[in-house]
Amino acid sequence: MYDVRIRVSKRGRIKFVSHLDMFRTMQRAVRRAEIPLWYTEGFNPHPYISYLLALPLGVEGVAEPIDIRLVEPMPMEELLDRLNAVMPEGLRVESAAAPFHKPAEIAFARYDVTLDRADITPEELTEALTCGELTCEKSGKSGHKKIMKTVNVSEHIREYRLEDKGEQLLLTVVLPAGSTFNLNPIQLMEAVSGRLGRRIYPPLTVRTALLCEDLSEFI
Amino acid sequence: MDKRLEKILPLVQKPARYTGGELNSVIKDKNSVAIRYAFCFPDSYEIGMSHLGIKILYSLINAREDAWCERVFAPWTDMEEQMRSNGIPLYALESGDPVKDFDLIGFTLQYELCYTNILNMLDLAGLPVRAADRKGLSPIVMAGGPCACNPEPVAEFFDLFLLGDGEEVMNEILDLYKAHKQRGSDKAAFLKAAAQLPGVYVPSFYDVTYREDGVVDAIIPAEGAPEKITKRVVRDLDSVFYPDSFVVPFIDVVFDRVTHEIFRGCIRGCRFCQACFLSRPIREKSPDTINEQCKVLCKNTGYDEISLCSLSSSDYSGIEELLSKLLDWTPGEKVNIALPSLRVDNFSDELLKKLTGVRKSGLTFAPEAGTQRMRDVINKNVTEEEIMETSRIAFAGGYSAVKLYFMLGLPTETPEDVQGIAYLAKKVVDTFYSMPEKPKGKGVNVSVSASNFVPKPFTPFQWEPQATVEELKEKQDLLLHTCPSKKINISFHDIHTSFLEGVFARGDRRLSRVIETAWKNGCVFDSWNDHFRFDTWMDSFASCGLDPVFYANRRRDYGETLPWDHLDFGVSKGYLEKENEKAKRAETTANCKIKCAGCGASKLNGGHCDV
Ligand code: SF4
Ligand code: SF4
Repeated sequence: MYDVRIRVSKRGRIKFVSHLDMFRTMQRAVRRAEIPLWYTEGFNPHPYISYLLALPLGVEGVAEPIDIRLVEPMPMEELLDRLNAVMPEGLRVESAAAPFHKPAEIAFARYDVTLDRADITPEELTEALTCGELTCEKSGKSGHKKIMKTVNVSEHIREYRLEDKGEQLLLTVVLPAGSTFNLNPIQLMEAVSGRLGRRIYPPLTVRTALLCEDLSEFI
Repeated sequence: MDKRLEKILPLVQKPARYTGGELNSVIKDKNSVAIRYAFCFPDSYEIGMSHLGIKILYSLINAREDAWCERVFAPWTDMEEQMRSNGIPLYALESGDPVKDFDLIGFTLQYELCYTNILNMLDLAGLPVRAADRKGLSPIVMAGGPCACNPEPVAEFFDLFLLGDGEEVMNEILDLYKAHKQRGSDKAAFLKAAAQLPGVYVPSFYDVTYREDGVVDAIIPAEGAPEKITKRVVRDLDSVFYPDSFVVPFIDVVFDRVTHEIFRGCIRGCRFCQACFLSRPIREKSPDTINEQCKVLCKNTGYDEISLCSLSSSDYSGIEELLSKLLDWTPGEKVNIALPSLRVDNFSDELLKKLTGVRKSGLTFAPEAGTQRMRDVINKNVTEEEIMETSRIAFAGGYSAVKLYFMLGLPTETPEDVQGIAYLAKKVVDTFYSMPEKPKGKGVNVSVSASNFVPKPFTPFQWEPQATVEELKEKQDLLLHTCPSKKINISFHDIHTSFLEGVFARGDRRLSRVIETAWKNGCVFDSWNDHFRFDTWMDSFASCGLDPVFYANRRRDYGETLPWDHLDFGVSKGYLEKENEKAKRAETTANCKIKCAGCGASKLNGGHCDV
C-alpha cells in the first residue's frame, strides 16, 4: 500500500460545502477518476480518504492536506491529472507527495482574513485584538455532554499582522489548530463582533497554511 | 457570487443548498444563448435534487446550443427571510441571475401541497403571481408533472401547461418561443400558437362556467384552442433522450444515486393509483440500453448506487436479463443496486438470490388493504397466501424488517377491513417466528404505514367521495386499538393534509383564489408538518366563499362535467366508469400481461403496449 498526501485548494462558492459533505464529494471524485484506491474492509467498503483538518464552513483553503492510500503505485503527475479532470468547480489538487509529518503534528494554522473597511476600522480591530479579554462561546464537551464554554480568544492569538489596503483590511493571523484545540477566524470575528456590538463578517477568509508546534510548515 | 449573498449564507442552515457549483452543473455564456430557462422545483433543494424528471429535462434543454437551463428550488424559510430583508430576489443556481429575467420559467407539479410554494417563489422573484398580470412575452410561466393532469386549481397562475411526457414537447415549445422572441411578437400571439401544439394547454383560452349548485357546467375553448388537449407520449424509450450525467449535489439529498426509469406505465391498474393511469400506455426500455446508460452515469457521477425506479419494477419483462447484465460489472465497481418498488406477487426466489449481497436493510410491500374483499375492490391482485409466501422467502433470505403499506378510507371500507390490516401484519410476525430457518439472534420488526386514500382524477375512483376527516380519525383509532403485537409499529399520515390534498386533486379554477389567499396569509411548505397551517387554510376557504367539503367529500355522478374533462390522458372515461362499477361488485380486472382490458391508452402509442 502507498500513502499519498494530496493538497487540495477549495476556492469560491464551494467554501459553503461543509466538511462532512466534502468527504462524500472526494469519495465520488476518486471513483470517477478511477484511482486504484485502497478500500476499507467490512460490510460497506469505502475508499480510504482522510481529511487531516476540517475547514470551517465559509473558509477557503489553498493547500488542505488529504491522505489517501493506493493499492498500486502511480506517477504523481498522473494522479494529479486524473483527479483534476473530474473535480467540481472550485476544487483542485495542487500537489501530491508522500506524507512527511504525522497528522498529530498539526498545531497551528495561518489565515488571511479580508474585512470591509466599511464594516470595521483598523483602529477598532487593533483595539479588539490587543485588549486581552476578547471572548467567544465555543461548544465543548464535559464528560459526554455537549456544553457551551466561554473561551478567552486573546490568549490564543499566536501571531497577527494587519495591513491597510484602502477599501479593505487584511488580517493575517495564526491560530491554534489540530486535534487538541482549535480556534478559527470565524470564531475570532464573532468575538470581535461581540466586543463591538455589531455583526462583522469577513467577505473572504482563506486558510493559507498548516503549521507545526514551532511554526514551521506542516508537510 | 453576489456580495450580499456571501454575507447571509453563513447565517442560514445548509448554505450549500443555495450556492450551485455542483459537479456536472452546466455553465454557459449567457450572451450566446437565445433562451434562458429556469427549472423551478417548488420544494426544498433536497427534495428537488432527488427527482428524476428535473435531471432529464435539465440535460435535454442544455443539450441545445441555443438554450441554457438552470435550477431553482424553494428557499427554506430562514433563507427566504434573509433574502427578503436584504432585497435579494430569487435567483438561479448556475448563474446567480434573477429568475425574473429568464425567458421561460418551468415548474414541476409533483404534489398538490406545493402550490403555495409556487406563488411564494414567483413573488420572491419579483413577479406577479397571476398570469394575467404578467404582460410581456418574458417570462412565460409554465408547468408539467403529474398534477398537471388537473391543473385547474393553479390555472390562474400559469400561462401554459405541458401534459404527459415532456421530452418532445419541451423542444417544440423552446423552438416556438425562440421564433416568437426573434420576431418580436407578444405574449398573446405566442400563447395562441403554443395552444396549437399537441399536449400544450393554455388555460386562459378556456372559459369555465358553473351550475348553480357549484358543479362545472361547461368548459368552452376560445382563440382556436382545441376542445380536447391530449397528453404527449414518447413512443420509443430506447431512442428518447436520456442524460449521460446528473448534477451531483454536495449535500445529502433524499435520493442521491443513479436513478433509472426502466419503463413507463403499469400493467396492474390498481384502481386508486393515479400514477398508473396517467403513465399508460406501457412502454419498456431494453435491458441493453438501460445497462449502458447506467454504466455511463456511474462513471460520470461517481455514484455507488443504482436505483431502478419505475412504477412496478419487477413487472419489467427484461428484469432478469437486466439484473444479470448489471451484476456483471457492478460488484467489481462496488456499486449497489436498489429496486424500490417490488410487488409481492412476483418477487421470486430466483430474483431475490440475484440480489443477495446487494443490500439487505429492509423490505417493503404494499398490500394496500387488509382483507381480500377490500383488495379486490381496489384491484390489488395480491392474496394473503402470496404475502406470507413472500415474507417467508424474504426472512429465509436474511431480512428481518418488513414495511407494509396500506391505505385507510378506501371506497366501501368497513371496520373489518380496517382491522384486517392489523391481523395481516400479525400474520407476518407469526410467519417469522414459525420458521426454523429465521435469521438468528434477531427479532422481527413489522412496520405498518397507513396513509389516507385520496381519490384522484383519471382513476376509476375519481367520482368517489373521500372519507371525511372524522371518519379517517375513527379508522386510525380503530386500527391502533386492534394492533395485537409489540413487534408492529403503526404510523399514520396527517388527516388534514390528506383532506387538503383531496380538495386540490379534484378542484376547479375557483380554488386559485383560495390558494392565493392562504399564501398571502403565510402558508408555505404545506407538505412539511411543522409548516402546515390547517386553520389558515380553512379561514381562506371561508373568506373566498368556497367549501372544501364540496371538493373532497362529495360523490360525483358519471354525467357530471369534471373540471379536467377537456384533458385527455389516454385512458377513456368509459373505461374508468366500467372499472368503478366493477369495484362496487368487488370484481377484479386482470393485468395487461394476461389480457388487455382495453383501457384506451394504447391509442396514443399506435395501438400498442409493450406487454
Ligand atoms: S402496481 Fe398498482 S399501485 Fe403499483 S404502480 Fe401499478 S397500479 Fe399503481
Ligand atoms: S391498452 Fe390494454 S395493454 Fe395497454 S395499458 Fe390499456 S389495458 Fe393495458
